[in-house]
Amino acid sequence: MHNWLEPKYLAWLEQGFLVTVMLSACAALCATPLGFVLAVARTARTSAIARGAAAYVFVIRNSPLLVQLLFWYFGAATVLPSAWMNWLNTPHAVTLGTLTLRWPSFELFAGWVGLTCYTTAFIGEEFLAGMRGVNPAQGQAAAALGMSRYATLRYVILPQALRIATPPLAGQYMNVVKNSSLTMAIGVGELSYMSRQVDTESFRTFQAFGTATVFYVLAIAVIEAALVLWQRTGVRALQRGRV
Amino acid sequence: MKNRTWGAVPAALLMALLVMGSNAAHADRLDDIKKAGVLRVAAFDSNPPFGFVDSKDNQIAGLDVDYARAVAKSLGVKLEIQPTNPANRIAFLKSGKVDLVFANFTITDERKKEVDFSTPYFASGTQFIAKKGVFKSPEQLNSLRIGADKGTTNEQQVRAKFPNATIVAYDDTPFAFAALRTGNVQAITQDGPKLVALLARVPDKANYEISPFTISNDYEGVGVPKGETRLLDVVNNTLTHLEADGEAAQIYDRWFGPKSAAPLPRLFKIGDPEKSS
Amino acid sequence: MNGFDWLPTLRYLLLGAFPAGPLGGIALTLVLSVMSALLAALFGLAGGIALAMTRGFVHLALTVVVAFFRAIPVLMLIFWTFFLMPILLHVDVPGLATVVCALALIGGAYLSHSVYAGITSISDGQRQAALSLGLTRWQTLREVILPQAVRVMMPSFINQWVSLIKDTSLAYIVGVPEFTFLANQLNNRLMVYPAQIFLFVALVYLLLCGALQWVANALLVRRKSTRLSGSGVQGDKYHERREMRSPLVGAAATRRARD
Repeated sequence: MHNWLEPKYLAWLEQGFLVTVMLSACAALCATPLGFVLAVARTARTSAIARGAAAYVFVIRNSPLLVQLLFWYFGAATVLPSAWMNWLNTPHAVTLGTLTLRWPSFELFAGWVGLTCYTTAFIGEEFLAGMRGVNPAQGQAAAALGMSRYATLRYVILPQALRIATPPLAGQYMNVVKNSSLTMAIGVGELSYMSRQVDTESFRTFQAFGTATVFYVLAIAVIEAALVLWQRTGVRALQRGRV
Repeated sequence: MKNRTWGAVPAALLMALLVMGSNAAHADRLDDIKKAGVLRVAAFDSNPPFGFVDSKDNQIAGLDVDYARAVAKSLGVKLEIQPTNPANRIAFLKSGKVDLVFANFTITDERKKEVDFSTPYFASGTQFIAKKGVFKSPEQLNSLRIGADKGTTNEQQVRAKFPNATIVAYDDTPFAFAALRTGNVQAITQDGPKLVALLARVPDKANYEISPFTISNDYEGVGVPKGETRLLDVVNNTLTHLEADGEAAQIYDRWFGPKSAAPLPRLFKIGDPEKSS
Repeated sequence: MNGFDWLPTLRYLLLGAFPAGPLGGIALTLVLSVMSALLAALFGLAGGIALAMTRGFVHLALTVVVAFFRAIPVLMLIFWTFFLMPILLHVDVPGLATVVCALALIGGAYLSHSVYAGITSISDGQRQAALSLGLTRWQTLREVILPQAVRVMMPSFINQWVSLIKDTSLAYIVGVPEFTFLANQLNNRLMVYPAQIFLFVALVYLLLCGALQWVANALLVRRKSTRLSGSGVQGDKYHERREMRSPLVGAAATRRARD
């Protein structure tokens, strides 16, 4: 193992992988409900809300994530009032029993905000496509039965929409993992950053990048495996009439 | 689906094959340069006065660029500058994208295993910038968040000497300074002369101060691809001649002299004996 | 902004140091995007057709290769092609070529998947009818399947090209002087206007991507209105409003369509 990479450098890479996983998980966790809200907003009856949501999606999806991250880290920092910046920069810790939750560093926070905003737009579009993929006859039948718009959404449209949207949603989660690599530009110590660090210090380019690539492919493979599992059990559950 | 993890296996095999199969010998770099008529040099683009973009003509200028131009002139070829940040210097040199590195490149034993260095043409020490009133003693650094540049010796030295400090590495010095300005880090580290020059050009320089102490003695030289002895000799001869006929002093004066934005006395001449750090 | 010249700076952002140096700025971004888009389309078509026409081990190997390039982050592939390829192959590859190579490979992998999904989404009846008329497999592909499949695949192509324009900004990390790189240089020089500079950069990319989508939609709408409905294309779910789908929905939707 020593010929591949020294243990010190392997530890750096493992640490970076952990940061990647945590950052991706937090971003995906926040972006999913927000994306759902965005999709509902896009189908809202009030044209102002619908237009606003559409504009948000257009802006976020057509500008590079790298530029958005640089904006959040450098630009937003100069725009926010300095009292907020002071608070964001001082380390806060919350102790729950034996667990200590530390407030993340500013670059991690900015990276999370940027990644979440970016992913929300895409997840919103997937939810929207899911909702549009449901046969319109379903909505009409529900209306004919006298269900309110909210009840239609909740009991008829959404369950089907979510089922349609789950495979593309898994695809978007994979994209979150891959997009997290861009946060290295603002100093977040995730996997790509660490692989670059290991490369500049140990000069073992192939080993450093190779290990990082394997870690990324592993993470993607796990999400893909989860999706396949869901599809197998989801369809079977349907056929057995459990849903 | 095992496809994604299995995808890594053929890729690794392919890479291994390429490593074993590539044994091409290459001609001497000096001959290549003379044949192409172009000397490609990696220089900084955001680190005045070593290498920066001159706003008048949007070309890269600076102390390193002047030295590079002298080497190109002695070779009788054109000069082509590849803008770089500290992290990409060695990669550019090793992958053959540039012939020389003129980018405040500190000489270390570790780096000597990968690249060759010319005789040193600049000397400096690692220092720090912080907001006024923060610095009281060197030991204080152990508790601070310190910004550094990826791929620099400053980063490694601070990590070695202050193991409890949190180091955040950025792509280039202006990034680190922006982080300092927003309070994301409490201090940033770089070579002293670079910090002096940086501070002189910052609009709100009154809020910052440079640490009075240095933590190292470094020498910067020209990065040359490993094993290119003829090219190395040309570079060394050019540097010695520049010192002998006073042009090195003139170049220094242009960027660090009394009329410049950040005057610094010239304590090191090309050919001076090196102090051990 | 005292002593700050707008026009030379804008010109620098637009063209880089050209003609006194290599091409850079927005012009280089466009060059990178166009070259990568063309190459990716080529790889995608070739890969998708290969996936559709092969069986057994070759098909599996192709699937694995495509899956690998879709699993790796673009940044990591750029690191590989930029830092490692020249050392391994002992060839001097200019920075431009390495970035185009990386983007084309990833774009090609995604497009292969879309092309394959598009081809398999064409109803089997079409293929069987063509074969029973005596056309060879390749003739069937060229004359019957592909023309219909292309209309299904076009939204994916457009989405991928928009993605490519955005991914060219990653070339900044390896020192290629495209638009994001130069904007960063400018920010490093001025130091106190980061919000304005990055908003401007985002605006330019918005314009570029928006223009591409507008042109594509205009052409597609014209095509759609002349197409007969009910031509046996089951890919009607691939309506152009589907926008930035993940690669999986193609396979998933065809699985659903066939169930």
